[in-house]
Amino acid sequence: MSIKKQDQVLVSGSLDVRGESCPYPELYTLDAIKQLESGQILEVIADCPQSFINVPESAEKHGHKVLNTVKNGSTSYFYIQVK
Amino acid sequence: MGSFLENIQERFFRGFWNPFMVLIFAGIFAAFYFGLTGTLWAVTGEFTRWGGNLLQLFGVDPSHWAYYKAIKLQGEPIDRTDGWLVIGMLFGGLLSALMSQNFKLKMPRQKRRWAWGFVGGLLAGFGTRLAMGCNLAAFFTGLPQFSLHSWLFIAGTALGTYLGVKLAVLPIFKGQPKVEFGLRPAKATSPNPNGHRKQLYIGAIVFVIIVLIAIYYFAIGKAMLGFAVLFGGAFGMLIQRGQLCFTSGLRDLWLTGRGTLAKAIIIGMAIQTVGTAIFIFKGAQPVIHWASLGSLIGGVMFGVGIVIAGGCETGWMYRLMEGQVQFISVGLGNVVGATILAYSWDHWGVFDALVKGSPEINLVSSLGWGGAIVCTGAFLFLLYLLVVWREKVYSKKMNQAHIPTSKKTTA
Repeated sequence: MSIKKQDQVLVSGSLDVRGESCPYPELYTLDAIKQLESGQILEVIADCPQSFINVPESAEKHGHKVLNTVKNGSTSYFYIQVK
Repeated sequence: MGSFLENIQERFFRGFWNPFMVLIFAGIFAAFYFGLTGTLWAVTGEFTRWGGNLLQLFGVDPSHWAYYKAIKLQGEPIDRTDGWLVIGMLFGGLLSALMSQNFKLKMPRQKRRWAWGFVGGLLAGFGTRLAMGCNLAAFFTGLPQFSLHSWLFIAGTALGTYLGVKLAVLPIFKGQPKVEFGLRPAKATSPNPNGHRKQLYIGAIVFVIIVLIAIYYFAIGKAMLGFAVLFGGAFGMLIQRGQLCFTSGLRDLWLTGRGTLAKAIIIGMAIQTVGTAIFIFKGAQPVIHWASLGSLIGGVMFGVGIVIAGGCETGWMYRLMEGQVQFISVGLGNVVGATILAYSWDHWGVFDALVKGSPEINLVSSLGWGGAIVCTGAFLFLLYLLVVWREKVYSKKMNQAHIPTSKKTTA
C-alpha cells in the first residue's frame, strides 16, 4: 500500500464495515455512495462473507461500477465508482 | 498434504457456490434425510430441548411441561438425532468456512448488535416454536411434507420480514456508517496468504472429526446418529458455501429488491417436494402440524425477529462458525425464546388461545395426491411470481429515483 504503483487508482472515500454483518455493510455502502459525487470512487472494506456477494451486487444494481475487488485473507476491499 | 488441501480449496472453495445449485442439493439431501430417518432437517425443536436441558442443569425439570411432552425431552443433545444434526451443521459450517478462508473472529463495531441480536433471536425463537417449526420445518422442509401449517407460516414470515425491514432501517437499529473522506490510493492486488495453510489444516481436522463420529455411531449400532451427523455436516457446508441465509432471501426482497436467493429457495422446495412425495407414497409417515392461528402469528414474529437479529435459525449457525461472534447472542436468544414459549404453552394458556382445536391438515389426505401436488406446485409458483414482481417494482422505483441524480456534477 505504501509503494506507489503505476496507474494507481485514487479513492475519494473509504468505508470500513469490518465487524458488521449483513444487511448493514450493504446498506451502509449505498448510504456512503450517496455522500460522494458522480465519478468518484468509494472504497469499502468488509469481512462478512455475505457482504462479498451483497455489496458488489447491490452497487451494480443501483447502476454504479465495481472497478476492482481485492481479497486479502478473509477481508475484501471493493472499489466502487459512483455513477 | 498441504498442496493436496490447496488443490481442494482451489477447486471447490474459491468462490461461493451458485445458490440454485446449493438449494437443489439441499432439497435432495433433505428429502433423503427424511426418507432415511423419518425426521426432518430441523433445528428449533432441538434448541427448545437445549433450553430444557439447561433448566435441568440448574435443577428445574421441565419434562412434565406439556410442550416438552409433545416434543419429547429425553436424554441430552448427543443422545438425539436432532442434537447430532445441529452439531453436524455447526461442524460442517466451520469446515466450510475454514476451507474457503472465510473464517475470521470479529466483533461488531456497533454494540447495539448484541442487544438487537438477542431480542430478535428471542422473538424468532418464540415465534418458530409457536408455529412448530422455523425456516426449515415450517418452511423449507415443512411445505414438502404437504402440511398446511407451513403455508400459514410462510405467509406470516413474508409479512413479518416486511415489517422487520421497516424497523431495521430506523436509526436505532441501523446506526451510522462512518465514511472517511480524502484522497488515498486504492489497494492493488495482494497475494498475502498469511495463516492460509493453518486454516486448511484445521479444516481437515474438523472433517476427520465428523467422519470419526459417524463411524463410531455406525459401529455401535446407532446408525441414525451417524446419519444425523453426516447429513448435518453436509447441510452445514451447503448453507455456508451458498450463504444460504433465509433472512437475507426474504429481507432483501423488500430491502434491496434482490430475489435470487428467494427464487433458489423456492426451486429447492419444489425439488424436495417431488422427493418427499416419493418417500411418503412408499409409506414414510409425513410430519404434519397444527394449521393454527399460532402458525401465522409465529411466522410474523419470526419474520420480524430474524430481520432485527440479522440471521435466522440456520443463518446464525454458519455465521457464528465464520467467526462472527455477535451471533452467539442470536443463538442464545433463540434458545431462551423457545424455552419461554414452551413454558407459556400450558402455563400462560398460549396453546388454548392460539392452537387448540386447530386441525392438523395433511394435504394428501384432504385433497388426494393429485390435489396436494397441484396445490403445492401452484403455491410455489405463486411465491415465485411474487418474487419476480418485487424485483420489477424495485428496479422501476430505482430508475425513477435515479433521474434527478444525473444532475450531479462530475468530480
